[in-house]
Amino acid sequence: MKRIVELTINGEPRDMTVETCCSLLDALRDDVGLTGTKKGCDVGDCGACTVIVDGQPVNACLMLAVEAEGCTVETVEGLQPGVDTLHPLQDAFMRHGASQCGFCTPGILMMAKKLLDDNPRPTDEDIRFGLSGNICRCTGYTKIFDAIKSAALEMEAARS
Amino acid sequence: MRRFDYHGAETLEQASRLLTDLGDDTFLFNGGTDLLVEIRERLRRVRNVVDIKGIPGLSDITYDETRGLTFGALVTVGRLERLALVRERYPNLRDALASLGSIQVRNRATVVGNVCRASPSADTIPPLIADGAFIHIYSRTNMRVVPLAEFFTGPGKTVLAKGEIVTGITVPPAGDNSGKAYIKHGRRKAMELSTVGVAVSLSMDDGVCSDIRIALGAVGATVLRAPAAEAILRGTRLDAATVKSAADKAMEECTPISNVRASADYRRDMVGVLTGRAITQALEASA
Amino acid sequence: MNINTPIEEREFKIVGKSVKRDDVLEKVTGEAEYTGDVKLAGMLHGKIKRAAIAHARIKSIDVSKALAYPGVKAVLTHENVPRVLHYGSPHPRSASCTKDQYILDDKVRFWGEGVAAVAAISEEIADEALDLIEVEYEALPAVFEPEDAALPGAPLIHDVGPGGNLVLDPVRVNRGDVEAGFAQADFILEGTFSGGRPHPAYMEPNVCIADWDGSNKLTFWTSTQTSFMVRGILAEVLGLPLTKVRVLVDHMGGGFGAKQDCFQHEFLCALLAKETRRPVKMEFTRHETFVAGRARHPCKVWLKQGFKNDGTLVARDMKLVYDSGAYGSHGPGVTIVGTTAATSLYRCENVRLEGRCVYTNTPINGAFRGYGVVQSYYALDIQMDEAAERLGMDPADLKLKNVVRAGDIAPSGHPIVGHGLEICLQHGIDVLDWKSLRNRDRTPDPKRPHIRKGWGIGCEMHGSSAYPGIKEQGNATVKVNEDGTVTLLTGAAGLGTGAHTALAQIVAEELGVRFEDVGVIHGDTDVVPWDIGAFASHTTYLVGTAAKMAATKVRASVLERAAMKLQVKADELDLSEGKIFVTAEPGRFMSVAEAMGPSRGIPAANIVANGTYEPTKSYSFAAHFTEVHVDTETGIVEVKRVVPVHDIGRVIHPIAAQGQIEGGIQQGIGHTLTEDYVIDKKTGRSLNAGLVDYKMPLSMDMPDIETIILEAAPDPGGPWGAKGVGEDPIIAIGPSIANAIYDAIGVRFHHYPITPEDILKALREKGA
Repeated sequence: MKRIVELTINGEPRDMTVETCCSLLDALRDDVGLTGTKKGCDVGDCGACTVIVDGQPVNACLMLAVEAEGCTVETVEGLQPGVDTLHPLQDAFMRHGASQCGFCTPGILMMAKKLLDDNPRPTDEDIRFGLSGNICRCTGYTKIFDAIKSAALEMEAARS
Repeated sequence: MRRFDYHGAETLEQASRLLTDLGDDTFLFNGGTDLLVEIRERLRRVRNVVDIKGIPGLSDITYDETRGLTFGALVTVGRLERLALVRERYPNLRDALASLGSIQVRNRATVVGNVCRASPSADTIPPLIADGAFIHIYSRTNMRVVPLAEFFTGPGKTVLAKGEIVTGITVPPAGDNSGKAYIKHGRRKAMELSTVGVAVSLSMDDGVCSDIRIALGAVGATVLRAPAAEAILRGTRLDAATVKSAADKAMEECTPISNVRASADYRRDMVGVLTGRAITQALEASA
Repeated sequence: MNINTPIEEREFKIVGKSVKRDDVLEKVTGEAEYTGDVKLAGMLHGKIKRAAIAHARIKSIDVSKALAYPGVKAVLTHENVPRVLHYGSPHPRSASCTKDQYILDDKVRFWGEGVAAVAAISEEIADEALDLIEVEYEALPAVFEPEDAALPGAPLIHDVGPGGNLVLDPVRVNRGDVEAGFAQADFILEGTFSGGRPHPAYMEPNVCIADWDGSNKLTFWTSTQTSFMVRGILAEVLGLPLTKVRVLVDHMGGGFGAKQDCFQHEFLCALLAKETRRPVKMEFTRHETFVAGRARHPCKVWLKQGFKNDGTLVARDMKLVYDSGAYGSHGPGVTIVGTTAATSLYRCENVRLEGRCVYTNTPINGAFRGYGVVQSYYALDIQMDEAAERLGMDPADLKLKNVVRAGDIAPSGHPIVGHGLEICLQHGIDVLDWKSLRNRDRTPDPKRPHIRKGWGIGCEMHGSSAYPGIKEQGNATVKVNEDGTVTLLTGAAGLGTGAHTALAQIVAEELGVRFEDVGVIHGDTDVVPWDIGAFASHTTYLVGTAAKMAATKVRASVLERAAMKLQVKADELDLSEGKIFVTAEPGRFMSVAEAMGPSRGIPAANIVANGTYEPTKSYSFAAHFTEVHVDTETGIVEVKRVVPVHDIGRVIHPIAAQGQIEGGIQQGIGHTLTEDYVIDKKTGRSLNAGLVDYKMPLSMDMPDIETIILEAAPDPGGPWGAKGVGEDPIIAIGPSIANAIYDAIGVRFHHYPITPEDILKALREKGA
């Protein structure tokens, strides 16, 4: 059973024709061609597929594409404010070595974006809690914490 | 993953009919965070899902001082977790909500879904039972309200008949001088299925425990109350020795199993430790 | 390069700086292409039917219903795939491997082994078709523990090999006279140790895509650390020349050693694509990464050591038994490396070691960061703490007294370069004020008397390169382009470590150009020079040196070219930051672009050079200092703080090196406390093949890590003295935690993971 789903992805109105049992993750990757969002487990345990739907981070693997009808979806591909500019988090992740193999990075970036949007001055505990649904197997998290703290400071400075 | 068909319902009646008419292997689909996992991991054979998220009126959250907190079937764990009212008046439920899965999962998973899944280790059930919650059930013939403590009949099993749909849960208001706690035990601090979960809700009257409910998760076929332990505590000042004997009693009352997460003996030990800690925490909160 | 060549000292412009990693730009924007992101027109999806029995002969297999299922394009079983015995571990150049695998066999040797494969127009259809394949098994008696498998009369899992379920003949190492050593000893410690089955649990599930073209050439995308090994083994098994197999891997989502095998699904994917004449993709589910992936070898260790009352070690007798699982994979290499490692770390002249590796009917164990050494050093380091206690010494003092030093013979048979381990240990003792730490209260919070604190030290050393097991070869090709930019071609995989950035830094430094001017081409076996693969902590050491050698050559050619244009002799020129100048007259200069580019009557230069390096080995060292809190009521252990002190020789990219250490510590904390891939000992079934019940430490569980990297003992075998770092951290952290737990609660554990139940049980026994 196929269905057309209309939604907004990274600010652009899109439609996707999907099997009704297809996950939002598979639809984004296979139908829309946005492969930045990764499939690390397909059962909501790793956070690699984190996208922001209507302002809230979710695992795209645990949502059906048909459930995204009318929704606003943000993925890692929409994080850059402009073609040649990076989001402060992206830049900080590069500088601080927060990404090694990079497979968890898109999900962690989306989670960190939501964290800083809601809470511009997070404590260490806030950051650890905010990332607790995202598995990183390379970095030991230390560099990720560093990058998020650094990006928070830069974003704060840019606002003032 | 094996394929299945998706049906969006717009009314409770339609959803109920679909659930009865589409035959076996038809399941209600709400947050989906358990059902989709069971499909992908081949734990459940599913041919049809009936999505109730298009049904109006199931997303409400209300509170009043006499009736307490009522939330609809579509209310997500995350939404309730972020509510100041819940943080202030139902800190046990709030701690349970904040420990369920991940932030991402909590933004999809619903509290009613977590309850209806009827897992003995479900995080939200112990505090809801300790608080004396009721569950609202729709059926095409009659609506009913069931105390949550009577809702479960076994692991994954409830009193729901085919075509019945849970529409919401009501949690009575906390009285004055009440204290609540939920302590979840796992090997990690997040992304855990509870090895043991203990919820305590108590009321103090002039330094004496006038009422207490203890609910134990992951140590029986369903979430259990610990009535004998509660009896030891009622009418006492909850001094350390009484708390200790009640905690020991709770260990006798639970019926844990061994699996890859923990042995039955260890779970029983943790019931003792955590019951004591939860009573103390609830007592401190009541002050 | 001669090992005796002195290390060149220079003022570095690029090496030692944490330059921005190019590959990370793609990773933070989501543009980085991983194998699973590749989509080809007409691509089919492959799935594997897995056995739900641990040991059996296949009596019959009926695929007719699956073949008839709409959307199914091909089904493979042992009856219609080539029957070629092959090395699952693709290191046929080394002695350490066993030919014991078929693509599909008529026998099942572990629960979860593939018995058939389906290609269909969608993943869902392929999955559904698996249920339609009917397999009739004749169950065989199964063995799940090495002790049982080694018993006389135990069911034999393989017809090949030395017999008795041994994967290889026992590895024996004898130095000195152990009996004489024990005779001198004032006291002897003897203990048994054991390790669980930690899984690398890389984030990217194994995935590959096969595509055959009209000329019968196979293009194969796969997430592998060893693309040339995959090319070689696919060509061998499929009967193709190397020109007809092209392996591609751009980015990969981690491997940690385990993605060095050529896996069953890789052969099946190639064959399904051949059969259907369409591209086929095969992607593991997370569950499959456990059952069909590779874990660390569970190990039982018996260790007996003799000590003098002054702390001198006089004898070491050690037996190790590694559980290979159902196939050999890296079992031989792990056994050799893990066993011979025990000749070293703490000095002892009289050593007798015996390592065995045994087949069991459990999922395959393979290469994983720390390669056999995690197991043996866990035992050595814990027993050293026990000896210190017996002697009434601070374990730090006993370890300082006994750690290997310059000139001692390393496991590879070479003299150790420098005092790396001693310096790391002493440095940590100093910065932490270890002596005062040991005098602190173990129950500092009177309100929470059930929380006990403790501190522990773990030491390790680990080689860069797999020598002497494999005589390795590193290759690099460097080209200078006519605009002055430089292209490095390397076969080293980019599994996330930042190796390509380090290699580019080395080339830029040696050549004298800017880092930004070096581009790296990798991941295409048709294009880049042959590479042994990214493993054994060797990429910077091995390929780094090869890249430096190639850069040295092109530098000379560039200078000759400039000399012609500047009308001077090449040896009068120098090259720095992309500028070639007359050393005596810095005012006379030209850019590399000007030197390389065309001018009237002179075409642009074509300068290319190869570097080939065949090293022996260097050793890196570390001492980890760890603080734990133990809840004596629940048994929960929290690692609160780790100060890892590492010597890795010359540091090429500090942040990347720190990242290796911190990531290794996360994995090691997991192995020691929470991670264990559990196989049911009655059925062989996996009990926790998923990321909820296989418990890796997450963001809230991680301690503060204060990484210290010392350039204490540079090794002349690596570029400017650089050594490896990938594996070291995971080895030292384990014993540091076990020793810290002892310090906190006075209970010794000889195994990992140390679970809360173990803690409570031991505390009870101690109290009783």
